[in-house]
Amino acid sequence: MSTNMTSLPVTLLAVPAAKNGRLSAFLRQPTFVAGLLILGVVMTLACVADLLYPGDPQDLVGPPLLWPFQKTEFQLGTDSLGRDIAAGLVHGARVSLIIGFSAASIGLLIGTLVGAVGGYFGGLADNVLVRVTELFQTVPAFLLVVVIVAIGEPSLKVIALAIGIASWPTIARLVRAQFRSLREQDFVMAARSLGYSDTRIIFVEILPNALPPVVVTASVMVAGAILTETGLSFLNMGDPNVVSWGSMIGDGREMLRTAWFLTALPGTATALTVLALNLIGDGLNEIFNPRMRER
Amino acid sequence: MTIERIGQRQNGCGPARGSLPESRRTTRWIKSVLASTVLCAGAWLTPAHAETATMVLATEPPTLVSLTNVATTALAVSGKVTEGLLEYNEDLSPEPLLATSWNISPDGKEYSFKLREGVRWHDGKPFTAADAAFSINLLKKVHPRGRSTFANVTSVEVPDPQTLVIKLSQPAPYLIKAFASTETPIVPKHLYEGTDAASNPNGNTPIGTGPFKFKEWQRGNYIVYERNPDYWGKPDPKIDRLVVKFIPDAAARSIAFESGSVDFGYRTPVALSDLDRLKSLPNLKFETKGASYSYNVTRLEFNLDNQYFRDKRVREAVAHAIDRKVIVNTIHYGYATITYSPIAPGLKEFHDPTPSPYAYDLKAAAKLLDEAGLKPTDGKTRFRLTLDFNPITTEGRRLAEYIRASLARIGIAVDLRAQDISAFVKRIYTDRDFDFAVNGASNLFDPTVGVQRLYWSKSFVKGVPFSNATHYSNPEVDRLLEQAAVENDPKTRVGLFKKFQDIVAEDIPDLNLVSPTFLTLHNAKIHDLATTADGAEGNLAHLYVK
Repeated sequence: MSTNMTSLPVTLLAVPAAKNGRLSAFLRQPTFVAGLLILGVVMTLACVADLLYPGDPQDLVGPPLLWPFQKTEFQLGTDSLGRDIAAGLVHGARVSLIIGFSAASIGLLIGTLVGAVGGYFGGLADNVLVRVTELFQTVPAFLLVVVIVAIGEPSLKVIALAIGIASWPTIARLVRAQFRSLREQDFVMAARSLGYSDTRIIFVEILPNALPPVVVTASVMVAGAILTETGLSFLNMGDPNVVSWGSMIGDGREMLRTAWFLTALPGTATALTVLALNLIGDGLNEIFNPRMRER
Repeated sequence: MTIERIGQRQNGCGPARGSLPESRRTTRWIKSVLASTVLCAGAWLTPAHAETATMVLATEPPTLVSLTNVATTALAVSGKVTEGLLEYNEDLSPEPLLATSWNISPDGKEYSFKLREGVRWHDGKPFTAADAAFSINLLKKVHPRGRSTFANVTSVEVPDPQTLVIKLSQPAPYLIKAFASTETPIVPKHLYEGTDAASNPNGNTPIGTGPFKFKEWQRGNYIVYERNPDYWGKPDPKIDRLVVKFIPDAAARSIAFESGSVDFGYRTPVALSDLDRLKSLPNLKFETKGASYSYNVTRLEFNLDNQYFRDKRVREAVAHAIDRKVIVNTIHYGYATITYSPIAPGLKEFHDPTPSPYAYDLKAAAKLLDEAGLKPTDGKTRFRLTLDFNPITTEGRRLAEYIRASLARIGIAVDLRAQDISAFVKRIYTDRDFDFAVNGASNLFDPTVGVQRLYWSKSFVKGVPFSNATHYSNPEVDRLLEQAAVENDPKTRVGLFKKFQDIVAEDIPDLNLVSPTFLTLHNAKIHDLATTADGAEGNLAHLYVK
């Protein structure tokens, strides 16, 4: 028993077979698959960006303001400085995904720690942490990001950190709620009676069982982080040394009436990616939903 | 609201010049309305509707009087209420405003002004030479440029209420161009005497002698000025109301022009990329005049204390790698003029059009870097630098992006650093924590005022914004600039500036790239907007709507 407990938490032991069954069932669900496909394509493009478009995507390579398909070497046209839009989109995918995933990870890390400690111990620790969480929630997340980036410098690291810092309260509340209900469960009592340390109970026993709703939220957080970075770059507060979808939209904004493709192309890319992440989130929600087990 | 009225130039025939009683003046107006015309030999008659004109600004002015703050937005509104002694025509020769005549002594050390009679402040008190003298003494203390503009002023005397005499220790050949409303505003002595100029409430609710009276300032939204019916230049102003709106977004400003909700703006009030589209609209007009009081030069300033830029060969290499034609055509969409000199092409008598000795030539650039011992380390990159850019214009960032791409071609990797304007100013002028920077400098109305500060070794003063950012120091340049500042003979002075331009073109402590073309954009119904060198920054007394 105890050896099993160390390797796999109790509740997850019971369902692996059923879960695989459900997973394959959901792989037949079109929206979830569509989400996975789109994200897969975007991730692949981001990975092979250097092979597809070697060199600096911010280099001025062609005549400015070429329309898509006007010249074969620039299939998606060029912007007002003569930068290749296609190269920008592909390299921008990389930046948007890096920001999205790293910001979400930072948010997850802080949120999980705060939520777990508060939810597990309760009492004074919980009181203090809930107040801190609420304090962060009273500040509009985007404003907080703007302030942090303005104090620091607009580099990818600072932006990811700022978005992470602004987005953890949702996770913290979710994890705390999970911990509060799970800490009274029999398997936790069992672990306690075996003399496990608090750290072990938190991370090895309760956390894996608290994760499903967190994973669902995390995929939406990645989408949120991508949108926040887009917003920042749109306001010219992004990292000027990398091309991101947001900075492409921001650069094209002035020409919205004359060269709409400058905003439409990166805008579509952003919308599709965010949509994909939301579809995946919805799909995961269904997969982890215990009420779906009977179906 | 569209009463037909006859407007005429202030120097026309002699009706009502502030002496007629109110009732008779009203009768006169009614008569003229009924008659629709007044016959008056020698006057240039301009029919006008009494209406509202709306000016657009991107941001809100910090104050409504350009006394202690010379932010562009403050200059834009100040002259409507607060006038100066003179105004200037397109080639910067002086015209009467509050002063009707003036005289400069042959040795250039005494300026005397005859002031206009019968002028009253908006609160009814009479305007006299005491106000002018007080203002000039105040400007010398509190105006950001006043200390240098009036540096040679030893005394300001008032022999009689209509005469002002300024005495100088040495000639100041640029001084006669400094009396515009925005540069040297004449403020009421009775409101400023014994107060702190910067916090004086007159900065928010100005009292002046101008054609427009301040009515209302709705913060973050608009300012309303009303026609001053007792203006000394009657029947000017020709419009009843002047509204100044603040619209921060460039696209929104374009739409406001198209829909007619704003009538005019200056210093190219819309995105350059939108100009071609707007030019095709029949109800909008574009004006290049009215920008000669403040030509700008866009520059790349090297920090000469930087380990790389200390070496002239590196600066030469950068100069060889930058193509000014691309900057004009792509970065500025054609709305700029190439300049190799810090003195803008607009200041025709001083500007030296000789091309830089370091023409666009990537091979020469690479060779110079090789000679400087800066061979590529990984086969491509020689060294890495950070480029800061002045964030107040969108072109600054675009230019920085062009420079990064250009320098990558000769193996210099450049990182851009974005920051707000106060952080930029602190970094460049106080902390001096930069490698090189894209910046702009206004020439103002004379090279001594606008250009000397950029190269004079004595204006390398930490903490003073828009001074000698490069830390350039050349005794010969110092000598030429100091001599030009007090040289009374115009020809000799031009010669001194030519020599100065030759030396800095060779030394390249910075690269002067282009001079942006500032367009005034206005609705076709607006007329006589840019009649002076400062255009829309002027008092707009002659502006009419038709």
